[in-house]
Amino acid sequence: MKAPGILKTMLILFLANYLESIIAPTLIKIYVAVPLTFIVFSALTYRFSQNVNPLYAFSLGLFIDLISNSLFGLNAILFCLVSYVINSYANTFKLFSYLQVCIFFGAASVFFIGLSNLFLAIENFSYIVLFISFFFNTCLCLLVAVSPVNRLSMDKRLSQYD
Amino acid sequence: MARVAPNSGSKAIYLLCILAGAILLYLDIAYKSFDSIKNTYISTTISSTYLLKKITVDPFIYLYDLSSSKSHLVNENKNLQAALDKSYLENFIVSRGDKFFMDDEAITALMSKYEIDEVFHASKIKFFDTTKYFCCDTHIMYIEVISSSGIDFTGSAVINSEGIIGQVISDNGVKEVLLLTDTSHYIPLETEGYFCNAKGSGKPGIISCRYSSLIWTNPVSNGQKLYSSGLGGIYPRGILIGYVQEITNIDETDIKIDISLITDPLKNSMLGIIEN
Repeated sequence: MKAPGILKTMLILFLANYLESIIAPTLIKIYVAVPLTFIVFSALTYRFSQNVNPLYAFSLGLFIDLISNSLFGLNAILFCLVSYVINSYANTFKLFSYLQVCIFFGAASVFFIGLSNLFLAIENFSYIVLFISFFFNTCLCLLVAVSPVNRLSMDKRLSQYD
Repeated sequence: MARVAPNSGSKAIYLLCILAGAILLYLDIAYKSFDSIKNTYISTTISSTYLLKKITVDPFIYLYDLSSSKSHLVNENKNLQAALDKSYLENFIVSRGDKFFMDDEAITALMSKYEIDEVFHASKIKFFDTTKYFCCDTHIMYIEVISSSGIDFTGSAVINSEGIIGQVISDNGVKEVLLLTDTSHYIPLETEGYFCNAKGSGKPGIISCRYSSLIWTNPVSNGQKLYSSGLGGIYPRGILIGYVQEITNIDETDIKIDISLITDPLKNSMLGIIEN
């Protein structure tokens, strides 16, 4: 998958952030936090055929900090970290099964929630939220990975090599 | 095509980006250096959303309202609801005085102190990040006065039909309201002659207070009422703030009480600012 232009990516992340702001108040009542914007960014980085530029990740992180009224630099750091890890292990991921990759994304999202909570909600830091979110996010990633839409997209990509 | 792992140059850029991010984060936490940027973004978003709605959606709504009596009724209902909210606010002090105030003296003192003719400035919620309200420690609401009076409301208490919900911390046209439950918010309270400084817990509807049993000799019980003490100079004295919900012994003498607030900021879209 070619890396989409920065404006297109910003639009995708903006929509993801908007969706996150709608679903988050409901899900937190059942101790679930879904960092949808972060997961979408990670998925895009994972699906790109080329490495993501660190400045690209940093700029997008700052953009998310601005639109989500979060602390400046928080998303920028986390986006840089996740893009570095994905770029480093992009080839290794190809040896992994869907389940293993989804567990990685689930763990990454929990890392994001944990670190965000340390800065944004230290007085209400909850391990229950982290544990439940880990299972929920892993299952969510797994659902997306095995969904027909994703399979169609994969088939299309593979057909390019035929 | 295989992706190449980051080389040393790329790693250096990653490191620089993370360092830059950490510096920005520190500046934001320690000095709130980017608050003006964030506030500008929020006010721009609010203004452009309303402008866009006014240009694109409102004309269609107006036409639809004209052509449909049902829509007209719905609209009428909304106006009546707003008027009802407003009347609740107007009656906030007078009709529910026995519930909110400890005694008649408190209400009289408040009325005379502020020379109240109009007890509040009616306002509407412009922006409220409910995600942050439910998940995080920051509980901030943005409101706008309906009839602009040019007064700077910074430091004024904000009420809804149930009671006090917070205070205005900045006034740049759109008023930024720090809610009672924000972890950086403190409100001085009193109960049965004892005083404490209650801090927002970051949880919706809960604030907490710590006291020493060596000073507060009378035991506190669940359901006990707590009133504003008026010591901070922001909130009027003697207004019912909440009830004791949970009592936790931190150590032998230090006791923490969780107070369940009587107000819910999500209850009304119409609010009042008590001029300070």
